[in-house]
Amino acid sequence: MELSVDMLPERRQHMQRVGLPACNRPTIPGVVSQRACVLYGARWMLAAIKDALHLIHGPVGCAYYSETVRKKRYEVFSTALDEKDIIFGAGAKLAAAIREGVRLRPAATAVFVYTTCAAGLIGEDVTAICRQAEANLGVPVVPVNCPGFCGVSQGDGHEAAVVALLEHFIGRGGDGPPLAKSVNILGEYDIQGDLKEIERLLQRLGVEVLCAVSGRATVAGLARAHRAGLNLVHCGRTGRRLALEMEERFGIPWRKVSFFGLAETAAALRTIADFFHCPEKAIWLEEEIESAREKASPYLERLAGKRVGLFFGASRMGSMARAFRELGMEVVFCGSQFGCREDYAESRSRLGRETLLVDDAHERELEEFLHRYRPHLLVGGSREQYMAHKLGVPFLVFPQETAPYAGFNGFVNLAREVATFIGAPVWRLAAGSPAPG
Amino acid sequence: MQLKEIPITGIPYDQLYIEKIPATPEYCRRPAELLPAGNRSVAVNPNRTCMPLGAMWAVLGVHGAIPFVQGAQGCTTYVRYTFCRVFKEPATIATASFHEDAAVFGGRRNLIEGIRNLVVRYWPELIGVVTTCSSEIIGDDMVSFLKMARANLRKEIGPEKADRIPIVLVNTPSFAGSHVDGYDRASRAFVETLATARDKPSGKVNIIPGLLYPGDIREIKHLLRHMDIEGIVLFDISDPLDAPLQPPVSLPYKPPGGTPLEDIRDMANSLATFALQPHAGQAGARYLERKFGVRAVVGPPPIGIQGTDAFLKTLRELTGKPIPESLLQERGRLVDSLADTFHHTMMKKVAIMGDPDVVLGVTSFILEMGMEPVALAGGTASKTFDHDVEAILAEAGYAGDPPLVVNGGDLLEFEEYLKQLPRLDLVIGNSRAVDIAKELQVPLVRVGFPIYDRFGYQKRAIVGYRGGEVLLAEIVNSILGYQYPDDRTHQL
Repeated sequence: MELSVDMLPERRQHMQRVGLPACNRPTIPGVVSQRACVLYGARWMLAAIKDALHLIHGPVGCAYYSETVRKKRYEVFSTALDEKDIIFGAGAKLAAAIREGVRLRPAATAVFVYTTCAAGLIGEDVTAICRQAEANLGVPVVPVNCPGFCGVSQGDGHEAAVVALLEHFIGRGGDGPPLAKSVNILGEYDIQGDLKEIERLLQRLGVEVLCAVSGRATVAGLARAHRAGLNLVHCGRTGRRLALEMEERFGIPWRKVSFFGLAETAAALRTIADFFHCPEKAIWLEEEIESAREKASPYLERLAGKRVGLFFGASRMGSMARAFRELGMEVVFCGSQFGCREDYAESRSRLGRETLLVDDAHERELEEFLHRYRPHLLVGGSREQYMAHKLGVPFLVFPQETAPYAGFNGFVNLAREVATFIGAPVWRLAAGSPAPG
Repeated sequence: MQLKEIPITGIPYDQLYIEKIPATPEYCRRPAELLPAGNRSVAVNPNRTCMPLGAMWAVLGVHGAIPFVQGAQGCTTYVRYTFCRVFKEPATIATASFHEDAAVFGGRRNLIEGIRNLVVRYWPELIGVVTTCSSEIIGDDMVSFLKMARANLRKEIGPEKADRIPIVLVNTPSFAGSHVDGYDRASRAFVETLATARDKPSGKVNIIPGLLYPGDIREIKHLLRHMDIEGIVLFDISDPLDAPLQPPVSLPYKPPGGTPLEDIRDMANSLATFALQPHAGQAGARYLERKFGVRAVVGPPPIGIQGTDAFLKTLRELTGKPIPESLLQERGRLVDSLADTFHHTMMKKVAIMGDPDVVLGVTSFILEMGMEPVALAGGTASKTFDHDVEAILAEAGYAGDPPLVVNGGDLLEFEEYLKQLPRLDLVIGNSRAVDIAKELQVPLVRVGFPIYDRFGYQKRAIVGYRGGEVLLAEIVNSILGYQYPDDRTHQL
């Protein structure tokens, strides 16, 4: 099928039916981009570290917005830069803000200092100020170098966060014996209880979760993360870099796994069981799969042959595409805001030829895909949701809002929600409005 | 949240009336000298966001207009995310996508290419170019960049098509003010760019509503209709940000409504300009007054009886048209509601936070209900806020303890002050007060921007007499729910 989407020429190579789309490039100006900035990515990674104090060095707006991460609100401190600070410099203000922040939150075990566009442009030596503050206060004060424009997308913010974690937190807890049968999950954000379901399954293997970066990460937890026996990379874009570094520094092996969908979850558990030489996993694993399939089957009947369009942040593409196929749905296009080559390669291997892969699609393109492929469902973030609704297309928000989607129970939830969302009465009512006159 | 343990023994459950004392037991006092925002370098829980949001809000209220944000992607994405969550509508806002090269070489290329890409993809009827901290710090010469962008556009799509798309530049360096200021600047930029001649006085009135919700704007239009007055609402978000779902739609999706371009051009011909929220819209109204002698009526927000009275009386005085019986009846219904409920509202202690004009309007209304304001926090620093509060209290003959007034700054002082009060019955404010209300275990009545944790608030009005009834009912019901947590124990 020919791509007839009316598009800008420089976007053509970002959409591919056979090979892999071009990726990791700056967004072209003037479009309604679905991407976010580097600060957004850093907050996405680090916000859930709750025992630390988070200080945004920038105008108040950056702090205001970055309080909300994955629809939850986290306390954020800020230097609230004003005109005076921009003109005369804000180094002293930053030092004072760190000091005062610690006085207001004496229980903080570390301080993250995030830079912003404004801070980056006025060019303070934030690293030196942090080092000085750390010496004075006796708490780790960690700069996260993430001015909004300093990269092509939020993916670079994930990287900046990973750098901060590696340099200042991971492995700081001193040497100790490796903790038997323990794993870190890298790139797991514990959305709506995903982590609990993953943990339940791992516990059946007798495996303990040490640290989930960063759905459940504390400063103390990160300090002993290097004693895990195995790293599981869940979201590739954030996890892979961390895993590679930890392998190099601490010799921890890693595996890329996914807990979305029956096949992926089963494969993940088999991989982990093999690694730790867990016996007798086969029986209960088959039972779990069978039970999940049975519970999902009434929904699967309703979903057979339905079309779905997928648009994720980055690395969930491949595993979610497979999960949607397990639901019996046809993936008509699959894309991401800032996926990397590995992510697209994984998706291609799961989807085969002919499925459109698209990188950094902007709002207008998604609109055209909806028009052209008429999916029964679009999966994406809340910025795409209301556009889809206006075009009469049911929408599933991801990260999800109501229940865990990970693991076997998560698959049943996914099947139930997709089936009910597609079948919601509103779509019948919207289509059937009486003609005027 | 679980109720605190009942401190009264010997009272049967069905006669229970709980006098709750706020502040959680584990609460420890913060260093006193760090409480006023002026004493601190650090800001905690800011009560405002940055300028570009207000300007983008304004542009979305113009028919067929698309904002173009000269900054990094986050400046657009965070705002779109906020609008999506508040309005439950798509928010089409284009970004110049600043990456490192823009920070080094400036945003000229981004603007020229961006305007071109935006035009060929969307064919907008107007582009509102909104600057950010990065472009302002880099020092982008926006006026000459825009000339180049226009020249480039003429070359690519032909002068006729290119010149049909006006471009309005709104300078909004984020660090210089709040979203309220951004809206204010946009009001001036639009009239200055588009309303260039007073050639045919029209007898219409201009309304710049400020950051009011679609439901509020509909209520304003309702009042104008009943007064039989033609109005021009500048930045009419009532349709674009509360649009019907009527598939099939043609592509690209263009939200319905918004202020037509011809109406903005016609604003210099009007009789007067009402800036209903003095902090958000006054700049536009004053400009038209200075330049064309169009009278500026600045505030008060038409919230509550006296606020709405003032609005209608000024309309009557300007146009000579009487206030019709239908509106007098609406007023009568609100007064009746006040009479039926004041037993529950009198002397209740209220804390109010939000944008300054919302705080002022609501304060005046709660005084009409006999409630007592204990703390008022207006997020945007204002020259007039303290004085306005005093004037409202004096006019209402308020004789209680003077409230804490926080002008600008953040919510830390506000929160800590409330925690030390012996009694508090209610918090009125936007969703950012949720944490405070939860911690103090008092109800929160949601008013103002942003409300992202409940549905439907953007669709209803709090302005006008009918809006007053909605707000009154919510306040009364929140108090009842708080005092009688078991619904079986109390009937009206």
